[in-house]
Amino acid sequence: MGVAILFLMIVGLLLIGAPIAVSLGLSSMIFLLVFSETSLASIAQSLYQAMAGHYTLLAIPFFILASSFMSTGGVAKRIIRFSIACVGHMRGGLAIAGVFACMLFAALSGSSPATVVAIGSIVIAAMQKAGYSKDFAAGVICNAGTLGILIPPSIVMVVYASATDVSVGRMFLAGVIPGIMAGVMLMITIYIMARVKNMPKGEWQGWGEVRASFADAFWGLMLIVIIMVGIYGIPGITSAIFTPTEAAAVASVYAFLIAVFVYRDMGPLAATSEGGARKSLLQKPQALVTAFFHRDTKHTLLEAGKLTIMLMFIIANALILKHVLTDEQIPQQIAGMMLDAGFGKIMFLVVVNVILLIGGQFMEPSGLIVIVAPLVFPIALELGVDPIHLGIIMVVNMEIGMITPPVGLNLFVTSGVAGMPMMRVVRAALPFLAVLFVFLIMVTYIPVLSTWLPISLMGPEIITR
Amino acid sequence: MTKQTEPQSRGPLSRFFDSFEETMIALLLGLMTLVTFVNVVLRYGFGESLIWGLELTLVMFAWLVLLGISFGFKHTSHLGVDALLNIASDGPRRIMVILSAIACVIYAVLLLKGAWDYWAPFAGFDATSGRWFPTGFENSRDQAWYETEQIPMLAWLRWLEPLFNQGETYEKLPRFIPYAILPFGAALILLRVVQATVRIIRGLQDSLIVSHEAEDAVDQAAAQSKET
Repeated sequence: MGVAILFLMIVGLLLIGAPIAVSLGLSSMIFLLVFSETSLASIAQSLYQAMAGHYTLLAIPFFILASSFMSTGGVAKRIIRFSIACVGHMRGGLAIAGVFACMLFAALSGSSPATVVAIGSIVIAAMQKAGYSKDFAAGVICNAGTLGILIPPSIVMVVYASATDVSVGRMFLAGVIPGIMAGVMLMITIYIMARVKNMPKGEWQGWGEVRASFADAFWGLMLIVIIMVGIYGIPGITSAIFTPTEAAAVASVYAFLIAVFVYRDMGPLAATSEGGARKSLLQKPQALVTAFFHRDTKHTLLEAGKLTIMLMFIIANALILKHVLTDEQIPQQIAGMMLDAGFGKIMFLVVVNVILLIGGQFMEPSGLIVIVAPLVFPIALELGVDPIHLGIIMVVNMEIGMITPPVGLNLFVTSGVAGMPMMRVVRAALPFLAVLFVFLIMVTYIPVLSTWLPISLMGPEIITR
Repeated sequence: MTKQTEPQSRGPLSRFFDSFEETMIALLLGLMTLVTFVNVVLRYGFGESLIWGLELTLVMFAWLVLLGISFGFKHTSHLGVDALLNIASDGPRRIMVILSAIACVIYAVLLLKGAWDYWAPFAGFDATSGRWFPTGFENSRDQAWYETEQIPMLAWLRWLEPLFNQGETYEKLPRFIPYAILPFGAALILLRVVQATVRIIRGLQDSLIVSHEAEDAVDQAAAQSKET
């Protein structure tokens, strides 16, 4: 009964336009004050401990920061050039290159909207110029951008790992094959559509361009190597070098150095006027020091900080709600109900899909994971669903939530970036949404897609309850 | 999507606070990153580490977020669902927004009481009595001798010892210093939420939320694509 009121209150507050964090926090506080012995002091404590007590979540600000340096640092442009050089000559090549660029950028950043903004703001305009319809361009990027949370590193995966105590490293690895698969499926769809509708294709610019553009994008792409090698080591040579959290911090520092001293698109060495020349470090050696205090550096730190605050405010309050739910033994009750109803593995996974698809319409993905993961996790273990597999299913559901109305994050972002009304973006995204749905079904019912890579690289996992 | 107007009257004082808050956010995030990075380098380069590095980073993480929440209310950057707001006509919409603002004020008040109650004993003050709202002070046990795990005591903070710890020396940084962000941050949240509510009632601001995290970035991108 109490719990029903709790959820009604949350939804009510959400709908009248209260911030998500406040809706979750206030409802939980009132519930705790009315129905339990918990004091406000211990609620305040758990708000503080949401940050100070969660080493795993510490990776979030660092991954956000690394991705901010990468997107302001003009890396997107270089990745797109490389992608076009690789696949631009095929029919529908620019669209396929757009997907490829989204995949690469997703491997640098942990967020989907960031991917759409970085790649979309360049590729959508370029595709229009090359003779594609704007709708097609927007639809492609809107969908491919969701790969941001599936291809590691991924903020949503960090949140899942923290909420269920599985290893972040395993989650990241588990996302690799599904991520590549989703990208390839989108590419094939585009290729077929391009063939049927006779869409434009680009010129093959030769291996020279492939090599040159790769060299140009190399420093950005190295970030992927640093993160992956750092977390997993090189098989046979070195074991893991640092934790995912440390990897994220190292990645931020690396991204900063690349953006300021190598690409010089920001900071003291950047060109002062449009088209002006960038300065070299020899001309301005004091930049080694001033770079840390430069306006651009501060601006990037501030933007990343604001995003961190926004997400952590929600996550911290979702954690309070999570305490309420576990105190009330809701997960056990739901598990009991489902098992009594004779739900098997398949039925359970369908239910999880449905809950997340509906929830994803209203909630920010990381907040939703914090709430739903502890609810379904014990049941999953009971039914023998692999925790890593469950995590990937949840992430793919979040992806689809991002491109379905009314509250699809990527739809908003794409409509803003492309300057198109929401409804047109929704219609444009629809054909590819169907592809992602097929992909979701595949990921849900073929667990080995997610579990094979982590198990073969890191050994079988030990499940702690 | 609704466009938010920044608070209109910008005196030198409010500009100072803006820039102070922005600098703090940037600085905390920058320091967190550097401390973690330096620790990795020390471990591999020199086989040692800053033993207090992790704890300090986590404290800065908490400071970053708890300070930043009020900043987010000031600049209307917290996420919410605006689907219903967008289809409601002006009258009901206004009522909904005012109700949501009141919810935020209640949240901030409860949080402030909780934050004080939690922090006060660590600083040797009394927590408030009452379950929902403060009704007075109760006699809390003085816990000012609690120290952090690893963060060293700073020499220039020694003047705190006679004030809070009956002259006993602190080996490590006392806990009430990192925890102080709770009451401070909560008080700031309350202030910003009340200010936002007043702006909403006076019709200067039309909601407390943004619908997605990348609104700024999208605006920039849209502006750029218009230029070219």
